[in-house]
Amino acid sequence: MTAEELLMGYARSHSWDEMMAIDSIRVPYQNLLQSIGQLSVENLRQKDVLAGELFMSQGITFTVYSDNAGIERIFPFDILPRIITGSEWEQIESGIKQRLRALNLFLKDVYHEQQIIKDNIIPAWLIASCPHFTREVFGIDVPYDIYVHISGIDLIRGEDGKFFILEDNLRTPSGVSYMLENREVTKRLFSDLLSANNVRMVNNYPLLLHSILLSLSPRPVSNPTAVILTPGIFNSAYYEHTFLARQMGVPLVEGRDLVVSNHKVFMKTTHGLEQVDVIYRRIDDEFLDPLVFRPDSILGVPGLMGAYRKGAVAIVNAVGNGVADDKAIYAYVPDMIRYYLNEEPILPNVPTYLMNDPGSREYVFNNISNMVLKRTNQSGGYGMLMGNNASEEEINKFKTEVEKNPRDFIAQPIIQLSTVPCFIDGKFKPRHVDLRPYALCGPAGIEIVPGGLTRVALREGSLVVNSSQGGGSKDTWVVDL
Amino acid sequence: MLSRIADSMYWLNRYVERSEGLLRMLHTSYVLSLDKGPYGFNTWRPMLQIFAGLPETSIHKLENNPTEAVCLLLLDTKNLNSLKVNLNRARENARGMQDHITKEVWEQVNHLYHLVNNPKTEQQLKSNDALAAIELLLKNCLLYTGITDSTMPRGMSWSFMSLGKYIERCLVTIDMADRHYQTIGYDLSQSKDILYWRSLLFSLSGYEFHLKNYRSTDYNYNVAHQVIFNPLFPHSIMYSLTRLKKYLDDAVRENNPAEKYSLLKQFGRLYSNVEFADFDWIKRSGLPDYLKETRSNLLQFSRALSQSFFSYS
Repeated sequence: MTAEELLMGYARSHSWDEMMAIDSIRVPYQNLLQSIGQLSVENLRQKDVLAGELFMSQGITFTVYSDNAGIERIFPFDILPRIITGSEWEQIESGIKQRLRALNLFLKDVYHEQQIIKDNIIPAWLIASCPHFTREVFGIDVPYDIYVHISGIDLIRGEDGKFFILEDNLRTPSGVSYMLENREVTKRLFSDLLSANNVRMVNNYPLLLHSILLSLSPRPVSNPTAVILTPGIFNSAYYEHTFLARQMGVPLVEGRDLVVSNHKVFMKTTHGLEQVDVIYRRIDDEFLDPLVFRPDSILGVPGLMGAYRKGAVAIVNAVGNGVADDKAIYAYVPDMIRYYLNEEPILPNVPTYLMNDPGSREYVFNNISNMVLKRTNQSGGYGMLMGNNASEEEINKFKTEVEKNPRDFIAQPIIQLSTVPCFIDGKFKPRHVDLRPYALCGPAGIEIVPGGLTRVALREGSLVVNSSQGGGSKDTWVVDL
Repeated sequence: MLSRIADSMYWLNRYVERSEGLLRMLHTSYVLSLDKGPYGFNTWRPMLQIFAGLPETSIHKLENNPTEAVCLLLLDTKNLNSLKVNLNRARENARGMQDHITKEVWEQVNHLYHLVNNPKTEQQLKSNDALAAIELLLKNCLLYTGITDSTMPRGMSWSFMSLGKYIERCLVTIDMADRHYQTIGYDLSQSKDILYWRSLLFSLSGYEFHLKNYRSTDYNYNVAHQVIFNPLFPHSIMYSLTRLKKYLDDAVRENNPAEKYSLLKQFGRLYSNVEFADFDWIKRSGLPDYLKETRSNLLQFSRALSQSFFSYS
């Protein structure tokens, strides 16, 4: 089967296709297509089935509950890799690094002097009205002034192929285990292609993360204890927690394994209490410490915030980061970059309208069919309205809600995400994708493993890539041509 | 090692060992219930007493109804000691420490769980092909033991897994032996024939062992020797206690808990009560009290063990 046959009926829409230019195949994909062109459709189908089996047998599944019986499913995986060139990657990398430096400075500022408010860059009421602005951490100094150790910043490509920042995830971004597992599966499926294409490696992520965790230890000891704090086996990302614990060789603990005594955190072991220096927590702020946040939380550790305030334990990511990835604060990140770094943003934001501004609100309502409305405090593809395919009734309902609480909403023009080829029903078909590179920030600087998680909307025409809304994922190659 | 992980290791193995004991006795009862022997039909009474803790009226209703008794013992989730509940708990424990057990062990626990929850298993147990389903379940429990043995590292996790396994095994042996001797009034001087003892010996996987190793016909006496004292019989009380001694020593040496002396002394009393006993000694208090005392010492020891190592909540 030749490349031409595989591409028969590959319908380009008016969005940017990462493989096909108007009438030719873009250079980064030429190699791949040529090699895959030598395989039969049957062969590709077999690889597709094999990929599913590999995920299933390793237990990389999530549980769907229906009729009280748990059914285990895998996250859909598309076997064709998504390719990003080295030069595109340099831009992404420098753009994300710049953004993270500014966001870190913002978090330090907002929980200390609040210069950015005093200088009228961001209005005080906007910050004060963030649900995740955490007054309890005001004045706490964190090691090396690093707040965002682990981030997943979502990028998209617009109609002209330019990259935009879609949102910042600075609390407990998940999915990194899929980035790593996707690569391992691709190694089984297309082992020859990886080496032939000069694909940069991603599998040092757990090692980088481990060394950052250890470097944050407040105790000056040679072998500090770092742990991952999980909510437990019923969490949908539990697989990722065990994966990272295994890969880094650190204990995976639950809240009930830890105890705070004399402002120090200990874990309860068979040989007594053992001090914990660094906690990579996968629990949201409000469940961390029932004495400070939600008193009904049984996932957290009573007294943890006291130990944190004393500097006896490092928490990763820092507590209170949610103020910086609020969707309304997002609109001010370019201003932050200018304010703190005196630089122009390398990667632009998607134009964003704050709905509390009457002028913007009117503009958005008049152009609602080209707009997406989002709640500022929700993620995962929930709480949003796509103006282009919502009914009159849905739009009116949303409008009323916006008018009730305008601060809780933003609007953005609908951007036709770029498309890449997917292997669906024995053919190549274009589907919309985004990109989430995982950045790690430690005392030695910011490191981003080349690639990230490409999420793909597997439903035809859909622009929503979230796994809860029919999304899947792909391996992401950064290639040096 | 985290106390919670040690606790899960311990209970994972206790639940699977209990399941194995339950299945082997069930298998034996099922097969024997098909024969009418000199002592009449074997009823399901002993099993229901040991593994379901039912009131007398319910036992009376069920003891001659194999299908219902089997379903109650294996599948009924209202019976808190049914196979299904045991295996569900075993899997819960395994899931919470996936990063501490090998992939092979996890897959086998998972397989057992899916097997007992599979609607086909229920159908089969209610059909006339129940024996095949029971055998498959039993075989998979044995497979778990083999997989654990050949893949788990011999560190602390192994010690805590083994402590759970042998405490449970010892309890199962005591309970079964007690039930069989109770029926004959704990009389060691008389002699029931070997047909009577088949039920106990098959349930403990010791029938052939008995035929090979005991020549005289003092069956009541010989069987008691085998299940209490014989150090070579892997289901004897003595054997389990010897294994427990080793794994307790390992755990104490590695962790050095504050209560180590009281823990070791408590175990020492339990151990010497079997190690240095003989039938003359047993006669002084009588067999029923001897078994009862050993059992309660063992339970006390298991509580002390969890206080020393597992107290995390």
